[in-house]
Amino acid sequence: MREITIQNLHFSIDGREILQGITTRLPGDRFLALLGPNGCGKSTLLKHLYRVHPIQEGSIEMDSTPLAEIPLRTAAQKIAVMGQFHTVDFDFSVLEIALMGRTPYKENFEEDTEEDTSLALEALEMTGMAEARNRSFNSLSGGEQQRVMLARCLVQQPELLILDEPTNHLDIKYQLELLALVRALKIGVIAALHDINLAAMYADRLLVLRDGRLEREGTPREVITEEMLLTTYGVHAHVGMDSTGLPLVDYRTESAL
Amino acid sequence: MQIRTLLFSSPLLSILLALSILLSISLGSISIPAGDVLSVLFSQIADTPSSVDPAMTDIIWSLRVPRAVLAAATGAGLALAGVVMQASVQNPLAEPFLLGIASGASVGATLAILLGTGSLPFGVSGFAFLGAVLATAAVLLLAGSGRRISTVKLVLAGAAISALCIALTNFIVYIAADAEGMQSAAFWTMGSLADAKWRSLALPIAIVTALIVYFLSQTRTLDVLLLGEELAVTLGIDAARKRRIFMVLLALLTGILVATCGIIGFVGLVVPHAVRAFTGASHRRLLPAAIFSGAIFLTLSDLLARTLLPAGDLPIGIITALIGAPLFLKLLFGGKGFGGNGK
Repeated sequence: MREITIQNLHFSIDGREILQGITTRLPGDRFLALLGPNGCGKSTLLKHLYRVHPIQEGSIEMDSTPLAEIPLRTAAQKIAVMGQFHTVDFDFSVLEIALMGRTPYKENFEEDTEEDTSLALEALEMTGMAEARNRSFNSLSGGEQQRVMLARCLVQQPELLILDEPTNHLDIKYQLELLALVRALKIGVIAALHDINLAAMYADRLLVLRDGRLEREGTPREVITEEMLLTTYGVHAHVGMDSTGLPLVDYRTESAL
Repeated sequence: MQIRTLLFSSPLLSILLALSILLSISLGSISIPAGDVLSVLFSQIADTPSSVDPAMTDIIWSLRVPRAVLAAATGAGLALAGVVMQASVQNPLAEPFLLGIASGASVGATLAILLGTGSLPFGVSGFAFLGAVLATAAVLLLAGSGRRISTVKLVLAGAAISALCIALTNFIVYIAADAEGMQSAAFWTMGSLADAKWRSLALPIAIVTALIVYFLSQTRTLDVLLLGEELAVTLGIDAARKRRIFMVLLALLTGILVATCGIIGFVGLVVPHAVRAFTGASHRRLLPAAIFSGAIFLTLSDLLARTLLPAGDLPIGIITALIGAPLFLKLLFGGKGFGGNGK
């Protein structure tokens, strides 16, 4: 996938406008990070891309084909999503969950092959969950469950990976590992992130949303400024530079103390 | 783990089912040696003369065999309905009886008989299907479909619809006390297989078989539905559409079964729950094991219903409720879950 084009996208629930006219082009082969305060519409925008929200107004095209004309199954072969999932008490094993990533490639009655299994084990190996392959998914911690879900995404062999606040339940160690792993895949990534410093470290481009509008777009250096932190997030912070020249947010300003 | 897998594999379960059916045919008010049963079965199927007394042959072939076959098919269908409904609404308590769908079907069936449309082909079954569809729609609307349905709302909505439909059924049975072909109130509310005849078997068996084949082709979808609607969509499954199709098919299945043998409760709850403890949640293993186990469970329950009291038949729903209600309480107040070990 080369490009996703979003034109004048609006979305409202119960009369409240969540997205108020988003227009942008998202390259399909970069690491894009979506930033913005809670309730700014990050998740809503991503849910439009992965087809959970129907388009009310505006349009989304993938490589010039309107999203609604792409069958869900075809889309699932190209885009994998690691979302905020709820936990049901289902007694699936870790390997079974990972194998569900093969769903968009399977016909009715078609069984999982040995290739599928080795693909799943490889993915679990990459996310550090291979040893837990026979454990019950339920018995894992939140962070472990998320790593299994990432493996399931990898088994889908996507061209684009959408991460909807993927680092929610993760310790900083796994946050770093997850983002580094995803970056090393060399596929397109669109990730909604909370941590601005992490976004600066891993993303090629940043998009900043506020109140359902796209406020800024650009490289980390262009986007992460003291002025942006004040207008978008309402915090006074100092933006310095890390050892590699990337912006680094320091929240320890005088007004915060 | 290995023994568990073997215990709930299809070859072993099909042998157990055959044995249960054989047992159910030979035991009863008159006990018949298994050898005679096999001899009659063989001679009827191969159309050769048999050495067994013709009166005995008649009991076996015209009474007990159709009854055992209907019990097995109904049990398989009810277990299938439970498994599919639980995955569709992501709730381990979903079951046609508890949700009032079976009661909805009984209103349709009794209404058809009262109006005299029961004599039309598919009249009773067709009305039972309509009743089941309406009850399903009502329960899902009341419980709030779309999102994941909360257990409390689901059970309360089911109880309300169920109470309403059972009252309507009883009312219809009461005012139509001597309408031709009207079964007793006990038949509609507690189920019975006593009227099983060869000619009434074709439709339920055809529907149950067709739906078993269909849902065996949908095991991946059922798995993915358990993970939630959003995740299902990202895996290429149109969850809302599938769920609608599944619910309509289940209403059809429930309608046919209720029209044939009344309301038999709890099978769709007990069987999937027990089987999951051995197979886990994966439908590729759960579904066939639950179908076989449902057939075995209801065949043996019917045997109990026929033989427990010397006076004669108990409604089979009493047996299944006595086994099912405690489990329902455990699921409701204990740890709920899709696993054998819950949380």
